[in-house]
Amino acid sequence: MIEGLYQQMKQSVLDGDYELAETLAKKALELGIDPLEAINNGYMPGVNEVGQLFSCGEMFLPELVQAGEAMKIAIAIFEPEMARRGSQRESLGKVVLGTVEGDIHEIGKTLVGTMLTANGFEVFDLGVDVSVSRLIEKALEVNADLIGASALLTTTMIKQKSLVDELKAEGLDKRFKVMVGGAPVTQEWAQRIGAHGYSEDAIGAVAVAKRLVGKAG
Amino acid sequence: MKLTAEILSRDEQQRIHDHSLRVLWEAGVQFHSLKALKLLAEAGATVDWETKIARIPEKLVIQTLETAPKSFVLGARNSSYDYPMPSPHTRYTMDGTSAFATDFETGERRYGTLKDLERGVRVFMAADMGVMCWPPCCASDAPDGSRPLHEFLTMLRFCSKHGNHELHHPNQVPYFVAALKAICGDDDAVRQRKIASVVYCPVAPLMHDAEMCDAYLDLGAYDVPILILPMPATGTTGPASLFSNIVQGNAEALSSIVLYQLARPGRPLIYGSASGSLDFASGGFLTGVPEMVLQTAAMAVMGRFYGLPNTATGCVSDAKATGIQAVIEKVITTLPAVLVSADLVSGIGEIETSQNLILEQVLIDNEIAHFCERLHQGVDTSPQKDLIEDIIHVGPGGNFLKARSTRVMARSDEFYIPQLAVRQSYENWLALGSPDMRDRAREKVREILNSPLVDPLPEVVSREIDEILREADKELSAEE
Ligand code: B12
Repeated sequence: MIEGLYQQMKQSVLDGDYELAETLAKKALELGIDPLEAINNGYMPGVNEVGQLFSCGEMFLPELVQAGEAMKIAIAIFEPEMARRGSQRESLGKVVLGTVEGDIHEIGKTLVGTMLTANGFEVFDLGVDVSVSRLIEKALEVNADLIGASALLTTTMIKQKSLVDELKAEGLDKRFKVMVGGAPVTQEWAQRIGAHGYSEDAIGAVAVAKRLVGKAG
Repeated sequence: MKLTAEILSRDEQQRIHDHSLRVLWEAGVQFHSLKALKLLAEAGATVDWETKIARIPEKLVIQTLETAPKSFVLGARNSSYDYPMPSPHTRYTMDGTSAFATDFETGERRYGTLKDLERGVRVFMAADMGVMCWPPCCASDAPDGSRPLHEFLTMLRFCSKHGNHELHHPNQVPYFVAALKAICGDDDAVRQRKIASVVYCPVAPLMHDAEMCDAYLDLGAYDVPILILPMPATGTTGPASLFSNIVQGNAEALSSIVLYQLARPGRPLIYGSASGSLDFASGGFLTGVPEMVLQTAAMAVMGRFYGLPNTATGCVSDAKATGIQAVIEKVITTLPAVLVSADLVSGIGEIETSQNLILEQVLIDNEIAHFCERLHQGVDTSPQKDLIEDIIHVGPGGNFLKARSTRVMARSDEFYIPQLAVRQSYENWLALGSPDMRDRAREKVREILNSPLVDPLPEVVSREIDEILREADKELSAEE
């Protein structure tokens, strides 16, 4: 019976069926199922599968995003009960993410966030035109593992360097790993500025993030 | 008659317009510039100062479409390149601001520099279908705060055709204006000649950036034309159908027209678009696909619906290398724009979704442009082309080589004589080392780069521009 419920939860994620995801979460609560169990055995397997299928080109971006959204809706239903039980979801790590100051290109950064979330990271997406100091403040506030900075303009790439430099100046470069990306960004640039990680796309970003938090493979 | 394409019926154009008006009023448009919001509020838009969203009523759209010029001349430093718009034929812009350039000698793909930019625009000078230049690559070696000025002015220095680029911040405006004055003579000449324009992308969906917007408002005093270029992508920054993404792009264009006409009625604007198609498998922004050019060609038609000079993105490719994919994508994204008679197609010389400048590609694309133009000219049935008397005269079994008309036609626009296509006989071709179009383009590029500069700036003006740039480097980099 519970197995059947978990299976339906997974399917609601695969189908991006928000209403069903929500109904099933409520049902799990009524049945007294531990929210963490429901998330880990019901919704997460769906998100993982979609993430994998997306990586090999078999699922499309809206399907990936809507899978993530369906899980988010379910988690929101579980939150009060999780708080009551004092239980917390485990994650691979916390990532603060943003497009750098002066740059408003949003899509690439958002995609990276979506893929990281689908693969078990907790992502704090600060949006676009984000200053170096805001990225660092947020990283301190949530005790992040990683900061991801996106830049699409050759004139704003320099802010990725500012981020690395500022972390060094504040003695935080050991505490927060920096990952950079964006169309004009290359491996060579990432190395030159001393960033810890680089990927040319969102799928690669997951592998890099896992490596940086020591959870590779 | 001409070979043309119909892409939107009159009724469909009207529906796109009506839907756009709904978007402008019901969803509104976000302006991050306070100056812009004030102008809109004073003119009767409903502004929410908290969210910075202005809801724009129909009457503002109608009023500003009336003041926007229906024709003007895109000037050039060398006036023989002046380009009156609207134009009876389609001409081209350089593609712009790639991060990378392919080194002509080594073939290496690396960050672009001022030297690459210079070489790119010199090749563009020789592309006879090109009328509007754009810095083809970014100059990674120029100082950050003044980089767009270096790019803009290096282009104007090495290219005497019309120049288009962007400014990122109002603090760059005075230097730019000073340079235009140095080139044109005085304020009035700057206004009248219009040798340079700026490109403006509203931020999809339905937003406007603050600093670029303020810079362009400041440039209004000099009547610097604006090329308006919305670029929503189907499914990410825009809705996932071509029709509705056109509606959104059109609403973004209209909101730009409203703003810049309110600020300075009569300022020349070019209605354009660079809408994208989403690669659903990766999230990538695709340009070299039918779904892209169907949108930009349709929007060129919307530009005409409003009576405005227009441009459509075309001749573009997402291929990572020159070759089959690049050429297929470039041809299919050029032809529809030409067949709807866009004034300008943007643009030539790059691959990789406008991220890699390749000098040979400028000339190859110029050739594509010629072929498409010839298609567009269609079958001419005017009296000059009616050779029925020759058919009767030659009769069965003769040939037409001795006919006067054959001699005349061979050198007329009836037959396009390609600049690059390889047409030798097989043995000859082998003997020449089996050249392909790309080899011929390379030869020409080398020739161009080894030739003296075309239309160099007078020495004094050149020195004045050096001085302006030195000053900008000092002041603007310090502000960073
Ligand atoms: C769409 C687009 C826009 C839209 C953005 C809409 C939005 N809300 O996001 C709009 C119209 C607003 C826009 C505006 C401008 N743009 Co623009 N834009 C693009 C375009 C066509 C596609 C970008 C995109 O969405 N790609 C799709 C996503 C999925 O790809 P991506 O961003 O590269 O992200 C992937 C990877 O890079 C990586 N990644 C990205 N971020 C990160 C971060 C980390 C940590 C990691 C690991 C990986 C990673 O993973 C992502 C997913 O696979 C590019 C062209 C191009 N080839 O990139 C130009 C481009 C980037 N823009 C350009 C320019 C010039 C501008 C403007 C200045 C134009 C103008 N005159 O107004 C303004 C600048 C505004 C500003 N201040 O930022 C130039 C940049 C030139 C340069 N080299 O500096 C480009 C290259 C186009 C060109 N050739 O001229 N633009």
